[in-house]
Amino acid sequence: MKLTPRLLELDWDEVEERIQRFIRDYMEKSQAKAIVLGMSGGIDSCTTAALSAQAVGGSNVLGLMLPEEETRNIKDIAHAKLVAKKFRLKTKAIDITPTLKAFYRSVPIFEPEDRLSKGNIKARARMIYIYYYANRLNMLVCGSSDKSETMMGYFTKWGDVAADISPIMDLYKTQVRKLAQHMGIPKEIAAKPPSPALWPGQLAERELGMKYEELDLILYGLEHFMKSEEIAAQLDIAKQMVEKVKLRWLSSEHKRRMLLTAKLEYRTVGTDFRLPRSP
Amino acid sequence: MIDCHEGQSMKEKFKIALAQMDFTQGNKAENLKQIEKTVAKAKKQRADLVIFPELSLTGYVLRDQIYELAETIPGPSTKIMERIAKQANMYIIFGMPELSEKTQATLHNTAVLIGPEGLVGKYHKMYLPTHSVFEEKRYFRPGYQTPVFDTPLGKIGMIICYDIYFPEVTRLMRLKGAQLIVCISASPGIRRTFFETLTSARAIENTAFLAYVNLVGVEDGLQFWGGSRLVGPNGKVLAQAKYDVEDFLTSEVDYADIRPIEAFIPTLRDLRPELFDKLKESAEKL
Repeated sequence: MKLTPRLLELDWDEVEERIQRFIRDYMEKSQAKAIVLGMSGGIDSCTTAALSAQAVGGSNVLGLMLPEEETRNIKDIAHAKLVAKKFRLKTKAIDITPTLKAFYRSVPIFEPEDRLSKGNIKARARMIYIYYYANRLNMLVCGSSDKSETMMGYFTKWGDVAADISPIMDLYKTQVRKLAQHMGIPKEIAAKPPSPALWPGQLAERELGMKYEELDLILYGLEHFMKSEEIAAQLDIAKQMVEKVKLRWLSSEHKRRMLLTAKLEYRTVGTDFRLPRSP
Repeated sequence: MIDCHEGQSMKEKFKIALAQMDFTQGNKAENLKQIEKTVAKAKKQRADLVIFPELSLTGYVLRDQIYELAETIPGPSTKIMERIAKQANMYIIFGMPELSEKTQATLHNTAVLIGPEGLVGKYHKMYLPTHSVFEEKRYFRPGYQTPVFDTPLGKIGMIICYDIYFPEVTRLMRLKGAQLIVCISASPGIRRTFFETLTSARAIENTAFLAYVNLVGVEDGLQFWGGSRLVGPNGKVLAQAKYDVEDFLTSEVDYADIRPIEAFIPTLRDLRPELFDKLKESAEKL
C-alpha cells in the first residue's frame, strides 16, 4: 500500500448518504424529537450540522452557539450562522462567560494560568448546556469529533466528545474537508486553521506538531497495521515523528473507552457485558 | 448426504423471490409478522420459494442477548414458519440462531429450509467471521456438514454469508448435486464489491444457480447493503435488488440453463481430485 492522499478519497455521495441514514435511523430508534449539537463555526461542527439537517430536516436540528469572552471570534459565529441559513437549521446563541466566571470563582484551587485545565472547563460547560437542551426537549446530542482528533486524543474527556452519536468520527480531518466541499459548505470554513478554542490563539496543527495532510496519512498507515518504519519511509519523514503520533494514539485510549473496573464477577460492565447498542 | 423427499416430482423451472428486508433487532414476534406478510406477497406473485436474509428471525447484532433468543429446531418459531409455509404452499429459507437440543448454551448460526410438508432441513454456518466488527465465534459453534436437500424445486444447498469466501463449501454441495445454492447474508456496506465478485464466481465455477439475499437497515452502526441477486450458472446476474433499502423481487430459475453452460465451460468435468489431497496437506501446514 502506497500512502498517498488518494487513499483518503471516498465516494462522497455514498458517504453522505450513509451518514445521513445512520443519523436518521438512530433518531427514529431512540424516539428523540430532534437533534442538538454545539456549533463552533469550525469545519467539523458545520459539516455535522449540515448532515443532520439533511438527514432529519433543518427544522429538527438545533445548533447551539456557545461563545465565551476569551475565545469569541466573530468570524466563527458568522460561519455557523451561514451554514445554519444554508441548511435551514435552527440556532441559539448563549454567552457562557457568566457561567464560566462563576465556576472559576467557586473553585478554591482555581489557577487561571493553568490554561489546559481552565480550557477543559469550557468544553465541559458546553457539554452541560447541550445536554440540558437534550433532556428538556427530548433531543439527541450529535457530536462532531473527527477521526484524526479522536485517534490523537485531542479532545476534552467528557467534554466536546460527549454525545449520543458521533456521525463523522470515522472520517479523518482532511476527509471531513472533502465531504464539506462536496456538500457545498463555504470554502472559507474548510480553509481556516482548526482550533479547539480552549484559549486565545490555540491552533490544532501547531499543537499536534504537523499538518493534518501529513497526520492523516500517518494515522491511516497505523489504522492499516503498517509498521512505523514503513510509514516513515513512504512519507519520507523521521521515524520518531511516526512513533510520537503512535504513542499519542495508544496512550489516549483511556479517553475513548468507558468505565474500566477491576474484574471481579461473572459479567462486568465495560469489559465483557456485550449488549447491542440499539436503543 | 442428500436428503430425499421421495414421490415428489421436480420442477425444472420455478419462480424464486428474494426478500431483502430490515428486521427488528431482538424482536422475533415482529419479525415473524413481517416474514408472514412477505410470504403472502410472494404467494401473490406466484413464487415457489422465498428467501430471507441471515438471522432474519432476530436481526444480526444480538451480542449476549442471543442466549435468550436462540431456539431449538424444531421449536416455537419453526413451528410458526411451518404453518406459514403450509398455508402458502411454498418453500421458505430463512436464518435464525439455533440452540442445540443436547445442550443449554451451544448455538449455531443456521439457515432453515421449510416447505408445505414441514421442516425440510437446515444448515449450520461453517465459517464464522471473528475479525473486524464480527464476533461470531464467540457465540456460535461452526457447522461440519454440507447438506443438499432434494426438493420438488430441485437440489438445494444453503450457505451463510462468510462461507462464500471459501469455495470448498459450495463445491462440495455441487458435487452432491446441488443445482441451486442459496446464500443468506448479513453483510455491511464496505464489503459490497467482495460479495458481488464472489456470488458470480461461486455460480460460474460450479455451473449452478446462486441466490444471494442480504439484510438491509442499520444495526449498531453497521449498515447492511442489500444488493440481493440471482446469478445464473454462467455468472450472469438475472435479478438484482436495490442497494441499502428494502426490496422484493422475483425471478425465474430454469435448470435447463445449466446444461449448455456445463458443456461450454466444463468445470465439473475438469475437476482434479488429487489437488484436494494436496490442498489438505498444505492447509494443515499454513
